[in-house]
Formats: sequence, C-alpha cells, structure tokens
Amino acid sequence: MGVRVLIVDDALFMRNMLKDIFVKAGHEVVGEAANGEEAISRYAELKPDLVTMDIVMPIKSGIEALSEIRSADPEACVVMCSALGQDALVVEAVQAGAKDFIVKPFKEERVLDVVRRVLGN
Amino acid sequence: MDMSKYQELFLSETREHLRRMSQLTIALEQNPSDREGIDALFREAHSIKGMAASMGYERTTALSHHLEDFLDSFRSSGSVPEAAVDRLLAGIDLLEGLLGSIEAGQPEQDVDAFIAAGTDLLGEEPATESESEPGAAPEAVGSTEKVDPAAGSGRSFKVMFELAENTPAPAARALLALEALKTLGRIDSCRPTEEEMKQGFAVRQLAVWLQSEHAEEVIREKVGAMPDIARISFEADRRQEDRPRLDEDVRTVRVRTALLDKFVNLTGEMITNRYMLQSATRSRDWDDVETGLNLLSRLVTDLHYHVLQVRMTPLDGITSNLPRLVRDQARKCGKQVKLEITGGEVELDRAILEDLADPLVHMVRNAIDHGIEEEGTIRVKAWREKDLALIEVADDGRGIDPSSVRKRLSEKNLLTSAQIKALTERELFQWICYPGFSTAAEVTETSGRGVGMDVVKAAVENLGGMLEIHSKRDEGSRFLMKMPLSIAIMKVLLVECAGQTLGIPVTRVLRTLDIRSEEVQLSGRQRIYPLDDEVIPLYPLNELLHLPTNGAAVVHLVITEVQGRKVGLIVERLTGQLEAFVKAMAKPLNRVAGISGATITGEGKIIFILDPQLLFEAEADQFSLSDVEESI
Repeated sequence: MGVRVLIVDDALFMRNMLKDIFVKAGHEVVGEAANGEEAISRYAELKPDLVTMDIVMPIKSGIEALSEIRSADPEACVVMCSALGQDALVVEAVQAGAKDFIVKPFKEERVLDVVRRVLGN
Repeated sequence: MDMSKYQELFLSETREHLRRMSQLTIALEQNPSDREGIDALFREAHSIKGMAASMGYERTTALSHHLEDFLDSFRSSGSVPEAAVDRLLAGIDLLEGLLGSIEAGQPEQDVDAFIAAGTDLLGEEPATESESEPGAAPEAVGSTEKVDPAAGSGRSFKVMFELAENTPAPAARALLALEALKTLGRIDSCRPTEEEMKQGFAVRQLAVWLQSEHAEEVIREKVGAMPDIARISFEADRRQEDRPRLDEDVRTVRVRTALLDKFVNLTGEMITNRYMLQSATRSRDWDDVETGLNLLSRLVTDLHYHVLQVRMTPLDGITSNLPRLVRDQARKCGKQVKLEITGGEVELDRAILEDLADPLVHMVRNAIDHGIEEEGTIRVKAWREKDLALIEVADDGRGIDPSSVRKRLSEKNLLTSAQIKALTERELFQWICYPGFSTAAEVTETSGRGVGMDVVKAAVENLGGMLEIHSKRDEGSRFLMKMPLSIAIMKVLLVECAGQTLGIPVTRVLRTLDIRSEEVQLSGRQRIYPLDDEVIPLYPLNELLHLPTNGAAVVHLVITEVQGRKVGLIVERLTGQLEAFVKAMAKPLNRVAGISGATITGEGKIIFILDPQLLFEAEADQFSLSDVEESI
C-alpha cells in the first residue's frame, strides 16, 4: 500500500525531486505546500499519512507549522527536511515532535528508508 | 565547598523521610482528610527539598519541590483524593530511584515528564477529580505511566550507541534514539543527558541505562534500524552489582551519644583496672589480683552488653515498608486488607533483622495471597519474652486446610497414608515448609509456588530461631518466629556425652528433665516416654553422634522440637549454661552434619554447638520420625 504524502518546501525544485522519489516508490503525493501556513491548511484538509517539512520557509517556518499541526493532531507524522549546518533547528524540531529528519541533498534510498521506519512504528 | 562527605548522611536521612512519606501516604489513603497527616507529609517533602538543594542535586530538588507544591494544594482543600495517592507513591518511587542513581554515582534521571504530568493536575480542583470513578484504573492520573515503577520491572541494562561518522545533526539523532527507547522501557539515565542533547551537544556516543522487558533483539531492531547509527551494544547494568559492594563499604550505624559516652567511661575504667592489676602482680599481692580480676570481669560484661546495644535495631526498620506492600499487593489481588503492626520498637540484632526482612515480606504476601479471602486483617506483632524476640504474622483468613495438606502429601508421595493419618495438626503444618511443597491451588504472581515457606523456615533456623505454625479453619493462620536477640552471642545449654561437652542453643530447647531409667518404655525397638499426654520418642545423643554408650540409672533428657514434633535427646549429664561467642565452622568441618558452630571456653576447650534439626535431617535415612509414629 502506498503512503499518502504532503510535501512542504518553498523550492519547487526540492518538491519535484521528492515527488519523483515518492511516486517511483509507489507512494501517492496528495498535495504540496510552499510555506508553513499553507502546510497547516493543506494538512487539515488532506489528512496525509506523512508530511515532509522544510525548516526554513517564508511566512511561517517549518517548526512553527510542525507545532501547530501536532497540537491539532498529536498523531501527525512529520519528517523534517534540513540542510547541513542546521543542527540546532533539527534538535528544536525533534523536541517539537518531528518523527525523524532527512538532510539535503536527498538520497533516494535514505528518504524511503525514513518513510518506512516512521510509518512502521 | 566539598559536599561529597555529606552524601552518605544525605542518602540515609532522605531514605528515612521517604519511608515516612510512604507510611503517611498510605495512612492518608485510609483517612484522606487527616489534616495532621497532610501537614506531616508536606514537611517531609520540604525537608528532602532543602537537603537536596544544599547538595546540588537538581532533579531531586525539583521533584521534591513539586511534591511539596502538590501537597500544599491539599492543605487548602483539606483532603487528599484517591488519585493523588497513586501519584504521591509514584513520586516517592521516583525519588528512591534518584537516590539510587546518586548513590551509584550516576546522573539523576529525568523527572520532567512526571512533573509536567502533575502540573496539569495542580491546576485542577483536587477534591473533585477523584470520586468520579472509584476503583477506576489509577493510571488515569496524567501520564504517570512514564514513571510507573511497574513499567520498569524488566531487566536493567546499559545500551551504547555509536553514531556514524559525519552524522548530520547528531544531537537530534541521539534524541530520536532516546525517544525510540522510551517506547520500549524506562530510561534511568543517559549520558550525555537529554538536556545536553537538547542544547545541541555534539554527540558521538550515547549511553542509556534502560529498564525494559524487551529482548536485546527487539531493541536492536527498533532503534538500530535508524539511519546514522553505526553500532549498538548492550551491557548488563553493573550498577546493581556494584550497589551491595558499595553498601558494604559505607555501611554505618547511628549510635546515641549517651552510649558512646558509656564506652569512653568503660575504657577509662579498664585502663585504671590494668594499672591496678599490673601493680598487684609486681608486688605479688594475690588478693589485689583477685579483686582486680573480679572488677575486670564486671567491666567486660558491661562492655559486652553495651556493644550489643549498638547492634540492636528496632523492628521498625523492616516493617515500615509493609503498609505499602500490603496496599499494592491487596489491590493487585482485588482484596480489602488491613494491616496492623504492633511492637515495632522491639529491638533485635541488626544482622538478624536484615535476614528476617525477606521472610517477613514473604509471610505477609502469603497471608494476602492465600490466607485472606475477600477482606481481612493481617497483624504483625512483636514482643520480648526473656531472651527471645517473638514476631508473629497472623491473618484472619480461611486458615490452612489440613485435608488439602494431607492430600498434597500423598499426591507427592512424601509419606505413606498410614504416616499421614498419624500426623498431628501441628506436625502437619510443618510440612508446608518442606521444600517444593505448597497448598496454594493456583500459582500467584508473587507468592509463587513451592518457594517460600521452606526459605522462611531455613532463614529463621539459620539465625538460631524457631518457626511455629498455627492455623484454624476459617479463623486464620499464625506464623510465629521465636528469635534470639543476638546471633554473635548465644546462650547454650551444655551437655555431656561420652566424655565430650557439647552445646545446644537454648532457643532450641523446650525443657530438660531427669527420669529414672526404668521409666523409659520401649515400643518395638524405639525408646519412648509419655510426657504431658504426648508420647515422645527418645534418642541417645551418643548413638546419633556415633559415640560409645554407657547405661546410667538416671536418664537426663533434653526436649527439643524437630519438624514440629517433640523429641527427647538422652544425654549423660547436663553441665550448665554458657553465654557463648559462637563461630561458624570453617571448611572442611562445616561438612560435619548436625554441628552448626563452635565456641572456645575460658580454659581453651572447644565446644561444638549442635543443631538438633540438622542432626535429625542427617540421620533421616536411619531414623524416620514418621516410622516411629507408625510403630507407637
């Protein structure tokens, strides 16, 4: 069974790359969002199985969005997408309830591995 | 300022406060609006907080402070709701755990989850939330399951993680690993601490002390599957093994200063006495030597008495945790059990107390599991009788059913049906202590089956005591332990046998008597003697010890008890009593059956101490008490 994914990133490039990885693996990308605020409303409307969430985004950051999503749905499964050198932000995100994180540049294997693991739990 | 020298005192005092907190909490459960109880409990928490803060133990301080606040809310409401009792007990357990870590030199565990769960509760009106669902799951209080001691009842081990080189955001990875472990058990502590990781500490290795019921493979699978974890290894938690050794090193006794003054005075008098004796010997004044020796003997007796006092500890030390035990156990069994403890002030040698702690717990558990049916009372009572301390565990439950004991004996082929029929009730109950014997139809989680009463009996007898079992159908059972006050010094009865002097601990002697040789009757080949409506078998001690015999006109009897029945030992002479400093036998003499130790008299003579029970057990092949019963 494929997983219903919501991809959140302000860069279209990143969204497309992730989308290709997920679709190729048989998952369904049910929606995309380009900032934190959009992410919150898309999440409420789509109720995806998994969210990939960029951290640094305009309007509302990924961590703020994560907190709001988790307070509305404590079961929400959110994986953070970070760049190298954002360690402190990742720690903050983990404390805010992120299930795991992937680091750019993404490796296909690594992304799918994380998906399997966080949803397997 | 170096605070480490205060640690030991801090630990022992805090443990005392915790013991009292536990007792007070349980008392409040019975009587929730006891103002004084709430105030006392508040003060205990407050004291712990003050000490912990002085020592710089932040989490212990935070937790005790939190409990203090928690209790303060009941001071205004005037009563402690049922749900709060569980929370208080969980908090007390958590504090015990923190003390354990401090003692083992480990960092204090994280208590944030517990405190956070209670902060929500604090905001509420405490009196309202309890009565809503009486008997409902106590877990309903916040997220106490995080710290529920039961959740950590599995094995303890240390899990070591090594992160791969170039792991991005290692602190976040380590936090995730820790989160994953939390779903598998209880984290006692970790290094680096969770706080350090949250601050972005560059983690390469993570060490977690975990209590979990899961197998290593499960943990490895769940956590090891994470990316960037290069290696996981497991070690048994060595802290537990370290602990007793640590205890050994730092074991201390608190002594009243008045007693110490007494020692100083006695030492002073003995020094004076030494000068007196020295000058008397120099001047060859034998009268003065004799006076000096008499004085010395008095001083030594005095010193001996007071040294023993230092070792004496009140029974409270091992009964104070019983209320909690009874409460938890009764709740687990779904029974209503009241516990009454009297005589907690009775003092015994601390070595005896330490060895009695487990048997006592076992008997109380047994009473809850097997004695009491739906509702009942357990009475733990202690009192002094001459040189003995008596400790009794009694319940008003269903009592031991003699027929089920008989049935068990024949099922297990332990005795022939004729032998079983001949057993008196008193003897019958002693069989409960036979290794591997149990009448409990079902195996309960704690009392188990077959292990227990044999261990209790062995512990009591090893300490030179006796265990008596009394029981009446539907009236309850009484387990009575007759213990000597001290083990190092033992009163022994001296008897002579084939020219040898032997000692029998007076705690094992029911009585002595002299009879004429023609009063000894024979039943088959067995010597018997009717004593107080009871026919007791007689055994010449010479024969039991394979020593030569000689007939005498007067027969001296020492009546003792073996397996719940009276037995007479025929000795050649009763020579007196002795306060003996008994030492255990060293190898290979400890293999000699029936001898429990030895003492050396003033003349340098060695006297062996007999244990009648062991003596008969060793002879079991040749002498079977039950055979005797048949032949009578």
